Amino acid sequence: MNQEWSCYNPQPFHDELMLACQESRPHSRKLVDYLKDLSRAEFCHRVAESERVIREMGITFTIYSDAGNIDRAWPFDLIPRAISGSEWSRTETGLKQRIRALNSFIQDVYNERRAIRDGIIPEDVVMQSKGYREACVGMTPPHGVWANICGSDLVRHSDGVMYVLEDNLRVPSGVAYMLENRRITKRVLPDIFNLLPISPVSPYPEQLYTMLASLRPDLEQPTIALLTPGIYNSAYFEHAYLAQQAGLVLLEGADLMVGKDNYVYMKTIQGPERVDVIYRRIDDDFIDPEVFRKDSMLGIPGIMRAWREGKVAIANAPGCGVADDKVIYAYVPDLIRYFLNEEPSLPNVPTWVCRKPEERAYVLEHLPELVVKPANESGGYGMLVGPHSSPEKVEEFRQLIQENPNNYIAQPTLSLSVNPTWCDDKIAARHLDLRPFILSGKDIYVTPGGLTRVAMVEGSLVVNSSQGGGSKDTWIVDDQAWEGGVQ
Amino acid sequence: MMLSRVAERVYWMARYLERADNTARLISAHTMLLMDLPETLEFDWFTPVVIFNAEEQYTKNYPEINEENVMRFLIADRDNPSSLLGSFANVRENVRTSLDLLPEVIWEQVNQTYLQLQAALPSLSSRHSRQRVLREVMAACQRIRGVLENHLSRDHAFDFIQIGKHVERADMTSRTLEMTSLLLAEDRSHALRRYESILWASLLSALGAQQMYLRHKNSRVIARDVLEFLCQDLKFPRSLLYSLTGVNFYLARLPGPDQVRARSSRIAEQFAQQEISAIPVDQIHWFMDRLQADLTVLHGEIAHTWFYPETDFSQLQVQAQS
Repeated sequence: MNQEWSCYNPQPFHDELMLACQESRPHSRKLVDYLKDLSRAEFCHRVAESERVIREMGITFTIYSDAGNIDRAWPFDLIPRAISGSEWSRTETGLKQRIRALNSFIQDVYNERRAIRDGIIPEDVVMQSKGYREACVGMTPPHGVWANICGSDLVRHSDGVMYVLEDNLRVPSGVAYMLENRRITKRVLPDIFNLLPISPVSPYPEQLYTMLASLRPDLEQPTIALLTPGIYNSAYFEHAYLAQQAGLVLLEGADLMVGKDNYVYMKTIQGPERVDVIYRRIDDDFIDPEVFRKDSMLGIPGIMRAWREGKVAIANAPGCGVADDKVIYAYVPDLIRYFLNEEPSLPNVPTWVCRKPEERAYVLEHLPELVVKPANESGGYGMLVGPHSSPEKVEEFRQLIQENPNNYIAQPTLSLSVNPTWCDDKIAARHLDLRPFILSGKDIYVTPGGLTRVAMVEGSLVVNSSQGGGSKDTWIVDDQAWEGGVQ
Repeated sequence: MMLSRVAERVYWMARYLERADNTARLISAHTMLLMDLPETLEFDWFTPVVIFNAEEQYTKNYPEINEENVMRFLIADRDNPSSLLGSFANVRENVRTSLDLLPEVIWEQVNQTYLQLQAALPSLSSRHSRQRVLREVMAACQRIRGVLENHLSRDHAFDFIQIGKHVERADMTSRTLEMTSLLLAEDRSHALRRYESILWASLLSALGAQQMYLRHKNSRVIARDVLEFLCQDLKFPRSLLYSLTGVNFYLARLPGPDQVRARSSRIAEQFAQQEISAIPVDQIHWFMDRLQADLTVLHGEIAHTWFYPETDFSQLQVQAQS
């Protein structure tokens, strides 16, 4: 593959594997050398094998469309992304710090509201968050932790710095694909694991179980279930996979009910049996038709009552989405300082909050260069990407911001880092992001690496798998062990 | 612990797996048989459709009876719930929703086979590639059963799988045996009489019983012996009585009320007491029909007891089990 690699050119972007066109980074040198040494035929053969493995293992995700729901094979690019262990340990520290602060903040929102009283964050910013749930006021979940499973999106800018783009606190998905990507690489490129010390991702299911079990410290062996909306949900594959790997009972709302005693029971062939911990993959809105959406067919009437009485633990805790909001995001560095008395070690993307007059003035002046996001949307909806938009679109957002400044934030347009990627029979630079997963219960665990999503179209920044994005196995390469050599 | 919903899923997984396996074997054996027979016999391509009791559905969608149409109907027709593809799609769907308790490799095996089957659909009109696909499906069913046999704990999931397998096997076998009334009919054609031993041997191989019959029952293929062997042999795992006994055995391992087990025992006992050779030819059909009806009622009771129990959940106040 020497020839293919000799044509590779990541410029002007930061490349995860390469320092320059032909020069690999120290932590990825052995990986790049290995790939260069493979013949083109051999490499294509391995790519085809990875596609076959994905088909046969039935790794799919569902796309919703007018023509019905389609199961698509999981898009996977064989060339891994590698991050040095020393960089990662700093990132991990930053992620742990961030989730501790976020959990303290959510606990504070539903209880004392010190941060609001002390002027750290305006009250109306908190109250406008779509994830705020009045029904959670006064609650303290086990260990005071609300967001038990968090999937933060990280991006690296051309300055080489890793930034937090957003905190997914509701029901973040993707971790099963992280696990499967590693399984595929192990099957298709087994030799490579002798060359580099790569941190294993396989402990995740056990860590998940341990975290969930820690939510009922009063029980020796709590019954733990994963609640799925069912087979038609786009993440069903992940729900079933996690239940299988972590030994959780996979169930749907119809399998559960709340008894007169306010405990939660599942319907088994031996009659009702108690469930102690529920890892729910259903949004707050649908979880309890008695409290939230009355038309929900997915939820369990009365489960909020059971939760409030401490008779069942729910992860993530209802209401935890209050902190998953674009405007609140801008305040997270201040929240870290306030609650932890520490400087944030993982930076936010610089963010202008349009509700502040001087920041709004800056935004309106620089609109064509900026990315503008509404507070409560996710998945890239309702956004303005200044440099890629028509003047009419920019004017439309100028109007929107002036009419409702509280609902908008703006950020500089980032140039995401790239990684060598196999596309159209050549190796080309493609943009990517990273979603590590953070588990918080009694302790905090961060996955080494996470799910790397990659935009398969040249120049594109859209990494969502529903819109043609792909994924990569993500390696944390232990540079200490690597410097001493392996084997 | 086993969810009622999951019990139903694994039960149906086992039924569809058994149906797929039996369908593939039946079609394969029938194709082999017709290669040996003249065209004017009472047996033709339509016979398997009759066995599945699907004449009406067939004639609704296919104007003509010929090899290609019948094979399409039996193998690839998604509207036919008993088609090979339909059965396997159901196996796949049921496995997909019970991944948390079935051995992991099952999913891969089932998915792989389903994809193979789908990929083979365009080439079904070729007898050669069709027979090959059928062999592959049968081999896949054996592999899947092998994984269940060797990797699944003997829990209630295993019990429901065994019950599903035996109920379906008994049902399929009895349907196939209905055809023997044609073979034994007083007024059967001379041509048919000439091919009798081939036909009975084919019946045995359609049920995967040829070798064991020759070894354990009679080294010559004789009509009444074949029928008796397939109905009541206690050692052959595909005989009707063996299946009925199997259902009894695994029902006894389940928690809950005794009525279902009582009914199941009654069905097996009555069947065991019947002197097969004494059944008049014109009543074999009726005899098999009655067994199928019994099995349908039994299935209903199983579903009512374990899949859709009528618990008044609103009054629920019980203690945790552990």
